[in-house]
Amino acid sequence: MNQAFLIQTAASAAAVAVLVGLAAWAKIARPGAPLDEARALKLLADDFPGRTVDELWVAVDGKGAMAKSGATALVLCEVGDGYVARQIPWAQALAASFKDGRITVNLADVGAPKAVIALAAWPPQPTKPPHTDLAA
Amino acid sequence: MKTFDPVTLATPFFIATVVLEIILARLRILDARYEAKDTAVSLFMGLGSSIAGLATAGASFAAAMWIYQHRLFTIPMTAIWAWVVLFLLEDMTYYGFHRLSHERRFWWASHVNHHSSQHYNLSTALRQTWTGGVAGTWLLWLPLSLLGFPPAMVAIQKGISLVYQYWIHTEAIRRMPRWFEAVFNTPSHHRVHHARNPRYLDRNYAGILIVWDRIFGTFQPELDEEACRYGLVKNLGAFNILRVAFHEWIGIATDVVRHPRHALGYIFGPPGWSHDGSRETSASLKAQWAAGQGAGPAEPDRRAA
Repeated sequence: MNQAFLIQTAASAAAVAVLVGLAAWAKIARPGAPLDEARALKLLADDFPGRTVDELWVAVDGKGAMAKSGATALVLCEVGDGYVARQIPWAQALAASFKDGRITVNLADVGAPKAVIALAAWPPQPTKPPHTDLAA
Repeated sequence: MKTFDPVTLATPFFIATVVLEIILARLRILDARYEAKDTAVSLFMGLGSSIAGLATAGASFAAAMWIYQHRLFTIPMTAIWAWVVLFLLEDMTYYGFHRLSHERRFWWASHVNHHSSQHYNLSTALRQTWTGGVAGTWLLWLPLSLLGFPPAMVAIQKGISLVYQYWIHTEAIRRMPRWFEAVFNTPSHHRVHHARNPRYLDRNYAGILIVWDRIFGTFQPELDEEACRYGLVKNLGAFNILRVAFHEWIGIATDVVRHPRHALGYIFGPPGWSHDGSRETSASLKAQWAAGQGAGPAEPDRRAA
């Protein structure tokens, strides 16, 4: 590696730092209100069109949700100003650890190893069944 | 050796336009969204890519030089016709490379990071691969040197293509003039390419000319009634840059270890392929979507929308 390349790389790294700082200062991320039931269902519908939601639990801080769809759990978790969704076996969701008002769900996926969702209790108590079809 | 490198020359332009896009978005003059951690990942992936590229640049250039010594024709670098022909052939090669990079998991593993942002802005353009050289896609450009195009000429044209593709990573430009949209890759066409909506998956692979997609049947216009949702079919759960760079490679290795009898499928099958059909490929997602469209809308009060 020659000196010119090192200087160029160092200058680029400095420029990156400035740009990231500028992006943080600008505060132009997507505006995101905490999730409510309707928005959680909308986001789940985007990722799992056609699935039926039997029950839905929205995180108390509005940063995630868990849904039961037959023998499957649909998991929704906030990442930055976006969301990540995964489906796992319902039994796997039931086995999630619950501590300090948060469940940590093992998603068994290298791209998203776990989801942390703030819920009042877990395993869940049955609530009113939305029984919503997540139609495309 | 001093060489003309369009990407290096354009780097100050890249930086200046990202600054401009952020500031104009902040002033609400144009439409752009930036999230700081997402931006950091994109820009550091770009920086890392230029460093990682050094690891294989020598080998790929040496291979091109060796091939060039066995060239079929001698094509002059100073002839305008040669640049025109190279422009077309390189752009078609890019189309093939890009399609391969989406439709076969081994090459998707090196390309997936470029699509891993849930944002679509100029910084996304710089979210480049760290493992493209290892994936060997540079082999696809060797036939150009075999034909007789000097390797330096091919490298310059590749750089021009990469620079062209920078400006199309934006939501700030809605549509270009109709004639331009018909011939060239544009922000609108490329938004479709970065979208994860089933309708938009695996479409618009073009580099500079969108005509290749029109010819080979992979063109999809951006539809006003269906806004693009960016990112991956299964988005990443964190902003860990190593996860962004290597998650699909780790996924391949894990699948091969777990199911060695199906190794070839997990390596060279389409992304999402599985031996038991338990996962979704782009084709299956599109089929499900199409079936849902054909079935008609669900009852309005039961829709999640």
